[in-house]
Amino acid sequence: MVDAGQLALVIALVVTAYAAIGSFVGAWQRIPDLTASARYGFYSVPVLLLVSTGALVYAFVTRDFGVRYVAENSNIAMPHVYTWVAFYAGNAGSLLYLALVLAAVSAIAVLTIRKRLPHTTPYALGTMALILLFFLAIMLFLANPLERLPIAPPDGQGINPLLVHFGMFIHPPLQMAGLVLVAVPLSIAMGALAARRGGRDEWVDLGRLWGMVSWLVLTMGLMLGSWWAYTILGWGGYWAWDPVENSALMPWLAMTAFVHSIMVQKRRGMFRMWNMALIITAFTMAQMGMFINRGGPVPSVHSFAQSTMGWLFLAFMAGTLLVSIAIFLWRYDSLRSRTQLESFVSRESSFLGQNILFLAVAFVTLWGTIFPVFSEAADDTVITVGRPFFDRVNGPILLLIVILMGIGPLLPWRRSTTQSLIRALRAPVIVALLTVIVLLIVGIRQPFALVGFAAVALAVGGVLTEWARGTRSRHRRGESYPAAFLNLLSGNRPRYGGYIVHLGIAMLAVGITASSFFSAQRDIAMKPGDVASFGDYTFRYVGAVHTMHPDRAESIAAFDVWKGERLTGRMEAYRAFYPTFRIASTKGAIRSTPIEDFYIVPSEFGSDDQAVFRVLINPMVWWMWASGPVLVLGILVGLWPARQPAPAVARMPSGAQAARA
Amino acid sequence: MAVFQSVSILVKRLVGISVIVRNFLIFYIMPVAIPVIIGIALAGCGSAQSDVPAVERRAQALNQSIMCPVCPGESIDQSQVALAVQMRGIVDEKLAEGWSDEQVREFFVERYGPSVLLEPPTEGVSLAVWLLPPVGVAAAIAVFVWALRQMRRRPAANALEPDDEPSDADLRDYYERIEASVSESNNDGQDRQDGRDT
Repeated sequence: MVDAGQLALVIALVVTAYAAIGSFVGAWQRIPDLTASARYGFYSVPVLLLVSTGALVYAFVTRDFGVRYVAENSNIAMPHVYTWVAFYAGNAGSLLYLALVLAAVSAIAVLTIRKRLPHTTPYALGTMALILLFFLAIMLFLANPLERLPIAPPDGQGINPLLVHFGMFIHPPLQMAGLVLVAVPLSIAMGALAARRGGRDEWVDLGRLWGMVSWLVLTMGLMLGSWWAYTILGWGGYWAWDPVENSALMPWLAMTAFVHSIMVQKRRGMFRMWNMALIITAFTMAQMGMFINRGGPVPSVHSFAQSTMGWLFLAFMAGTLLVSIAIFLWRYDSLRSRTQLESFVSRESSFLGQNILFLAVAFVTLWGTIFPVFSEAADDTVITVGRPFFDRVNGPILLLIVILMGIGPLLPWRRSTTQSLIRALRAPVIVALLTVIVLLIVGIRQPFALVGFAAVALAVGGVLTEWARGTRSRHRRGESYPAAFLNLLSGNRPRYGGYIVHLGIAMLAVGITASSFFSAQRDIAMKPGDVASFGDYTFRYVGAVHTMHPDRAESIAAFDVWKGERLTGRMEAYRAFYPTFRIASTKGAIRSTPIEDFYIVPSEFGSDDQAVFRVLINPMVWWMWASGPVLVLGILVGLWPARQPAPAVARMPSGAQAARA
Repeated sequence: MAVFQSVSILVKRLVGISVIVRNFLIFYIMPVAIPVIIGIALAGCGSAQSDVPAVERRAQALNQSIMCPVCPGESIDQSQVALAVQMRGIVDEKLAEGWSDEQVREFFVERYGPSVLLEPPTEGVSLAVWLLPPVGVAAAIAVFVWALRQMRRRPAANALEPDDEPSDADLRDYYERIEASVSESNNDGQDRQDGRDT
């Protein structure tokens, strides 16, 4: 079975190489049969990789420790369900996973673009195949997941305990898929350029579609990662500006800029060069992410798949960047804008401003992340650029982004008159100002937080005003309110889907602002039976149950918790220590409400019954996790394909139909 | 007949009133409702912070600015390893002895080197890490304004091409378009004005 997987991997490499060469040569020399054959070959790659995947899963399930990767990432005690996690827990396995995702999604992408972009597709397919080839080659020659050991050990080393969490079933695969999927919109864009179709805007719809797919996957990956950090890393936070977090955030920021700016090209035929530059930036940053994750120069808590091949990823990143720039310059002339910008105050310019701000955050993050390398090279001082730096520098830019999110969508395309501006901004600005007043009354004085909440109110007010106006005007035409609202949404899905996403981002911003400025934390030492209180909460430490397992020492502490006078129930916090890995895994007891989270996490259990607990009250964190489904809904609305215009018969007056009958 | 007429007038009046009420709901209630909801939700926000003694708050801020030397990238506030716990203990101890924040930081820098601070110093080479972002953002904004001016000045590459979009200069037009799209509701109407993509 393992040999079959090995063989499939080799064939996949050969076929992918053939698909790349055949596709480019066939398109270049105009040999349709060759491009078709390359395409069919490309379709077979995911199937081949599925065979290799099956082989590795089989090796895991049958405990075949003769396979090096299986021995290094699992053991007999591991429940079978964790095979899913062990599969991508190490370097070689994660490469196979990345290759499988890229191959499968690329094949689907080719199916969707083939008919609509006949000239672009061969070049796009060739690009995808080249990128896939890189992964397959390093897998076969440097980090083969199916490599055999000379002697099979009796038991494996086991899985990294930090990965043993429900969040780890979804976050890493989504995050990795998101990073690798940026290759799809890049390939479509590069294909359009190479085929001299970059100036025709025909690639825009599909480039946007696949850009949004990768954006959605990246967003979900980031969110689940934060959720995992919040519930299992046991420090009460969700984002630490760690190098690997940053490396996942950077491509997300660049993709966010891209999915906005591509709308301007779709609607107005502008920003053609800019969109190309953005997608190239996003892809380069995604490569950077993979590089930092795999033995990059900066140390991080996330170094699960560490290896020495980081520099290969860096070389690949540099190579793809240079080639992309070369293609860009080669086809530079085809990218002139169709129309010109008419006004500083317009939707177009606000999109451009948004792009600049997102790129600013991305580059500040990049700069802070890699600066320690520079400073060490420059004068041998090792310094750390950590959270305080990013909070202080990126915080204000992010705030500006939220403000722009409130204003931008209300500006009209092309140009605006003072009158129309007042009309559009009146209601939301009133909402924002009143919010500041109300918050001052309830006692919130922190200026940054005030501006943040006002910006959120502005954004929400703007979206609701737009919805209210649109619904009302449709209602006047005789539609009932619910029907009017739904028809409004389906009438311009990219726009209203975007609004739903903005509402989700507003929820996220509320959670982040409130929890960064107003969370409170204490470390409290308690013995069983002790009662302590914090904020509105009173809690009694009932006691802890300690159990020894073969691989870990586990403690579960129980609390009775009262909010005010009311008993809210028993909460349990969990801590496990894994001696083999010298890692403690903790799971906080969290009572989550839309207003605030009450969070207890055990820091240490002393020898006498005393234990130290960290107790936190984190306001509004619930909204951050609740924004996830809203974002997904918004993207789905935005991406849902438009119905084809109904044939005229369908609108024939009923009288005419009766006459025909 | 007269009865029917008066009923229909009454209905129209009521509808007229309900439209006013609805407009009122949409455009006057909302500006009040959103701030009130936000205000209620955030009313108790941060009140627990006053439960935390000042010295503990200082300790937390310090803990968050000091890196745990054996678990790179994590602050000692965040880390669960024994060394971090020990270092948190030292911070508490020194603050209890009356040390200033700066003294505590220097204490750790002497032992573990400057990389123990998560916030890079504002001197020497690492001044660059602080200077570049504001300079870069300022430059980006300058380029942004310049690019916008360029775009406005440059004559349209194909000014003769008939503009296939209705003017969107005024929001009113936009709403009229929405209304117009209702009448062709069978037609999905997504981006009708730019069929050129395909």
